[in-house]
Amino acid sequence: MAKYTAMAYKSADEMIFGTAKYPVKYGRNFEVGGGFVYPELVPHPRPGSEETKKSLMREYERMVNDALERAVTLGFPGLQIELEHIWQMTKNPDWGGDIAGQTRKLQEDWYKKYGIKSAIRATIADNRKPDQENIRNCRSLELALKTFESSAANGADNLSMESVGGKEISDYAIVRQDIRGVLFGIGVLGSRDMEFMWKKIVEIANKYKVTPGGDTNCAQANVAMFMAGGLLDKSVPHTFAAVTRAVGAARTLTAYEMGAKGPTKDCGYENPIIKAITGIPVAQEGKTCACAHADLQGNLIASVCDLWSNEAVEYHDMFGGTTPAVFTEILGYDVALMNTAIAMGKAKDLQALLINSDKYRDPHSFVVAPENAYQVGKAIVDNNTDYYSRAKAAAIKAAQLILADEKMLLSNFEREVLQKVLRDLESFPASEKDFIEQCTSIYKKVIPGFNLANYGL
Amino acid sequence: MADLSSVFVRYDLKKEAGEKTVAVSKDELLQKVMTAVVDGDEDNIVDIVNQALKVHDPLVVIREGLVKAMNEVSRLWDEGIYYLPQTIISSDAMMAGLDVCEKKMGHSMEKKGIVITHTAEGDIHDLGQQIVNALLRANGFEVIDLGKDVPVDDVINAIKQYKPAMVTGTALMTTTMTAFNKIANRLKREGIELPFVCGGGAVSLEYVTSFDLGIWGKEAQQAPPMATDAVSGLSWEHMRDKYNG
Ligand code: B12
Repeated sequence: MAKYTAMAYKSADEMIFGTAKYPVKYGRNFEVGGGFVYPELVPHPRPGSEETKKSLMREYERMVNDALERAVTLGFPGLQIELEHIWQMTKNPDWGGDIAGQTRKLQEDWYKKYGIKSAIRATIADNRKPDQENIRNCRSLELALKTFESSAANGADNLSMESVGGKEISDYAIVRQDIRGVLFGIGVLGSRDMEFMWKKIVEIANKYKVTPGGDTNCAQANVAMFMAGGLLDKSVPHTFAAVTRAVGAARTLTAYEMGAKGPTKDCGYENPIIKAITGIPVAQEGKTCACAHADLQGNLIASVCDLWSNEAVEYHDMFGGTTPAVFTEILGYDVALMNTAIAMGKAKDLQALLINSDKYRDPHSFVVAPENAYQVGKAIVDNNTDYYSRAKAAAIKAAQLILADEKMLLSNFEREVLQKVLRDLESFPASEKDFIEQCTSIYKKVIPGFNLANYGL
Repeated sequence: MADLSSVFVRYDLKKEAGEKTVAVSKDELLQKVMTAVVDGDEDNIVDIVNQALKVHDPLVVIREGLVKAMNEVSRLWDEGIYYLPQTIISSDAMMAGLDVCEKKMGHSMEKKGIVITHTAEGDIHDLGQQIVNALLRANGFEVIDLGKDVPVDDVINAIKQYKPAMVTGTALMTTTMTAFNKIANRLKREGIELPFVCGGGAVSLEYVTSFDLGIWGKEAQQAPPMATDAVSGLSWEHMRDKYNG
């Protein structure tokens, strides 16, 4: 496995939405990162529709059609659709496969008729339970791999996943403000699990000549971010969540080291860091995913995106049409603005507007702002000797950046949390081996079911 | 650089938390126990409790030290001075201290009652459930934790086996929460009545109150007072009125 030891870009300033160093082509005349931003629509079935394969397929047929129809009606040049599996679609590989096949058929029909460019991402659900089973050899893994195959065979262009390795440790650590557990669960164990999973996913993608897309730290950094919540929430400190994001970037990078080509998964808020390191096209979601959750970087997170997504919207009627149609419209006009800026030579101006709207809204938006994302990325590649070192370097860099910028205002509590995180990080063992030993003895005692063998250790 | 100060308002800074005041005990040793719990000092809690046990009866250490401190922690959280992690770390410390006291007594503290918790079949989003578990345990309840992705049958069987005062369910997906009314229907059919508190991101008041037994849990903090009500015999209808009315 080749590890990244240099940045894809010379500086953050070189990064812009719509263009990636290594564009990806697939689907129906669809290119991501080649100088143009496309919308990625994620529809979600209504409760009850999952009861049978027939009713779920019908639900997807409607949702996908509504989206394509709206895109054509409004003159959008292209659209990617994500099939973000509900667990029934992964648990029954033929369901996932047949829905991919049906979606391809619909996209082909619209392509033949109108020439609208399109592609499909299938995100297979990771139903493995690290604290309850052997995640390298269990039924959920077997079914997930089968569903990757059935999806690829039937029409998915991009295979993605939100893998959950190390989650038993990070779940424990995030609610205890325990940066050691974050580093161990995400930085070390999460990365090791991704190495295991992505070897298999890339093999399947190659077998069917489709693109291995990407992963996201949804299971961990998003947990911290969503628990940190809005400005008035008192769950997880925002500075702690921001540092967790940097650790998540060091982990998510593993997919691309294993051969994933992007575009990355939309809910990976660490993707600006990933793009800076790898040059791979990225999907992002911001204000357009208010239907799924709130975040404090609704504009900023679009600043280097190549696909612009809504995370997930449940199928319903709205005054303006069904939700897939309405969100296709919102996404489509957002990217039209970005593409106009590109065409008129104003992309950097628009990017500056997006960034400055949110950079100091929250430490999380601050860390993923391109300039800082670049520096966190640089800390990762400069310390890419092992998973532990690079994740620790990313965390330290993020903490230092937040503390050093006077404009990034923090409450006393948030600042103290961050200073403590930094002190803790600097006190951890120098070598990965010692760190793993230390963590094993600590977490074995408090997390029943924690099993090193799940991570090849 | 332009002045962007009116683009957004950092309401979090305007509302900085007040001072942390800590309840006091006249007894120096018990005071140390309380401080260790309030500060979540897991490293030293065992030694500190052992010191206190040299002078005090275990029941006194529990009641006047550990439990009082946890009440203080709940207050700090309610007032927004503590964040969730401070609360969880304190409850870890409290549980460690309790363990020492129970060993000295030679038996466990009598639990307030049994609660079964689970995350819905097909759903591995169990963080909310884990928080609920921690808070219930810290408040003296025995928690039977069935884990995540729990088949409907297993929930029913566990209820028959343990006869809990209350059962909880967590679901983060609209396509998995449908297990809850299946559970409620099965219980009704088998003539079992108990409060079934359902929570988690996907679950709405409207959904949970659409079937018998269901009570909607919005925040994990509600679990201990709900369990207290259930143990004291409040019916599911009354609980629904009280919490969802
Ligand atoms: C983190 C996360 C994950 C993590 C889960 C990690 C974990 N250990 O739980 C991972 C990556 C594993 C994951 C996987 C998936 N996820 Co997910 N995930 C989330 C996310 C981002 C946050 C959820 C969370 O942890 N919140 C924090 C906890 C603490 O909140 P909570 O559980 O709601 O609990 C609070 C209250 O509800 C209450 N509460 C909860 N239970 C109880 C019980 C009682 C008794 C009481 C009183 C209170 C109470 O107390 C808590 C706080 O006080 C949400 C986004 C969102 N908007 O919610 C999506 C989300 C839930 N996921 C979603 C989806 C679709 C998936 C996947 C299917 C995606 C895929 N294809 O891979 C898989 C599902 C796999 C499976 N079989 O379950 C969707 C669900 C859509 C829907 N409504 O159906 C969401 C909403 C995101 C989206 N797309 O919009 N996910």
